[in-house]
Amino acid sequence: MVKLIQAVDKSLALVENYMIVAIVTVMVLMAFLQVFLRNFFDTGLLWGDIFLRHLVLWVGFIGASLATRDEKHINIDALSRLAPEKSVPYIRFLVESFTIVVCIVLAKAAWNFVAYEMEDNSILFNVGETAMPAWIFQLIIPVGFGLIAFRFFLKILGRIFGVPQPEKTSPETK
Amino acid sequence: MLTFFLVALIILLALYGTPLFAIISSIALMAFYFADIDVTVVIIELYRLASQPVLLAIPLFTFAGYLLAESNSPTRLINVAKALFGWLPGGLSIVALLTCAVFTALTGASGVTIIALGGLLYPILIKEKYPEKFSLGLLTTSGSLGLLFPPSLPIIVYGMISEVSIDKLFLAGLLPGTLLIVMLSIYSVFKVRGQKIETTPFNFRKALRAIREAAWELPLPIIILGGIYAGFFTPTEAAAITAFYVLVVEVVIYRDIKIKTDLPRVMRDSMVLVGGILVILGAALGMANYMIDAEIPMKILGFMQQFITSKVMFLIALNIFLLIVGALMDIFSAILVVVPLIIPIAESYGVNSIHLGIIFLTNLEIGYSTPPVGINLFISSFRFEKPVVKLYSASVPFLIILLIALIIITYVPELSLWFVE
Repeated sequence: MVKLIQAVDKSLALVENYMIVAIVTVMVLMAFLQVFLRNFFDTGLLWGDIFLRHLVLWVGFIGASLATRDEKHINIDALSRLAPEKSVPYIRFLVESFTIVVCIVLAKAAWNFVAYEMEDNSILFNVGETAMPAWIFQLIIPVGFGLIAFRFFLKILGRIFGVPQPEKTSPETK
Repeated sequence: MLTFFLVALIILLALYGTPLFAIISSIALMAFYFADIDVTVVIIELYRLASQPVLLAIPLFTFAGYLLAESNSPTRLINVAKALFGWLPGGLSIVALLTCAVFTALTGASGVTIIALGGLLYPILIKEKYPEKFSLGLLTTSGSLGLLFPPSLPIIVYGMISEVSIDKLFLAGLLPGTLLIVMLSIYSVFKVRGQKIETTPFNFRKALRAIREAAWELPLPIIILGGIYAGFFTPTEAAAITAFYVLVVEVVIYRDIKIKTDLPRVMRDSMVLVGGILVILGAALGMANYMIDAEIPMKILGFMQQFITSKVMFLIALNIFLLIVGALMDIFSAILVVVPLIIPIAESYGVNSIHLGIIFLTNLEIGYSTPPVGINLFISSFRFEKPVVKLYSASVPFLIILLIALIIITYVPELSLWFVE
């Protein structure tokens, strides 16, 4: 079981890492190209900016999934330092279950949102003759919340079966 | 009764370390659910992010900042500052203040500054016989210095949530940010006078060499600031240029960052921070929408007006409130949760929303190092391997100076609005 959890966790992280590297590379190069074209040639890709902003959503949600893995979500952890050692696993179980429920509700709401947009056939932008449907880009919202929920689920399973966890250091430190 | 129970439960969950995005989302979801509004609204609000041009600036500046932090640019930056100011009595403390400020402005997160720069500066300060306590206090409080300077991420996030123009906020932060550095510098020089501290005599050739070594990095602030202020490009375009420029400089020219090993790691680490901010940002938009619909700021205002009758009283209350918030909460969540509530209230007391932004950020900057729970204290304690209690007493004198500066910034709005008007 431990091996299975670790394998799922690792392969997911690997895919996420590759996606981040690909998206950030495209984002940095394309954003610069846009500025360059706009300032020197008074032109640029019409769909460029809106595409780039959707890439931010993608990279952000993937980053948030990895933040779950690294336990780096921004929080106010004022009380658990004071809690008795024995109660900590139970507190974390409650905290993480609550987060999973919230993420599932958000994922469901996001899925409804994407489904509306699909029905409406909303177009995000046109690349030449090709119309890009909005839902393809918005899909990351339900998927992203689903991923975060899944990662918290892995955390809970991992702790039950004794998978080694990343050492908890103070926030914002490496 | 049910509401009371739910509120208590959510506060408790928040204090036990539930991710803030989940806390904020759950409040928004429940509020809309009880108001019989389809909860999809929360997602529609989140998706509004994709229509804000400045959204792109967040990952680009964060990536550039992490690249700089991972390269040798902190060392080069310190060398330049040392060559230029090291001959002054107490000059090294000015070096620390300046480099920390520049670095925080570029990276946007205070933790990175203490880890990357503090670690380099602390041994130098000790070697040149600066008192230990003084050095610790200096580096702890400098960890968030520079949040008022462009292109600091908290300013961008404040602008996004308050709908105040980010270019104007960038301009507004210049004088107050400078005031903080100048006051801390004067205190530092005054404090260490009479102690036997070594100064490095000014050496023209050394200075030139240090400048030449950092020749590719030094123009960066000028490109960002000059470009935005002269109107050549928007903050988002500045972010695109910065990210590309830093990438080329650190990977191709200095080769501090190895393209196969370091670069993917820096990309990943910076996007983990971006992800953490983005989910809170999205959730906060949903909650802000509900609060404005339910006229919650107006209700708080009505309540407050019974006790707080003047602008000055409001500002005092605001400062105290924000210092507590700054010590308890991370800067991004503080901005995202509190700003939508405060802005309408502040406006009705006649506080300019640009000035409010500067007051807000200065308070949070100080809150970072305020005992007992300011995050800088813990990061410093971790980095310098000193007990937190020692850092409490070490940072107090610096905090007093910062509080005096805060009072000036709060009650002299011209300081923030000089360049804007």
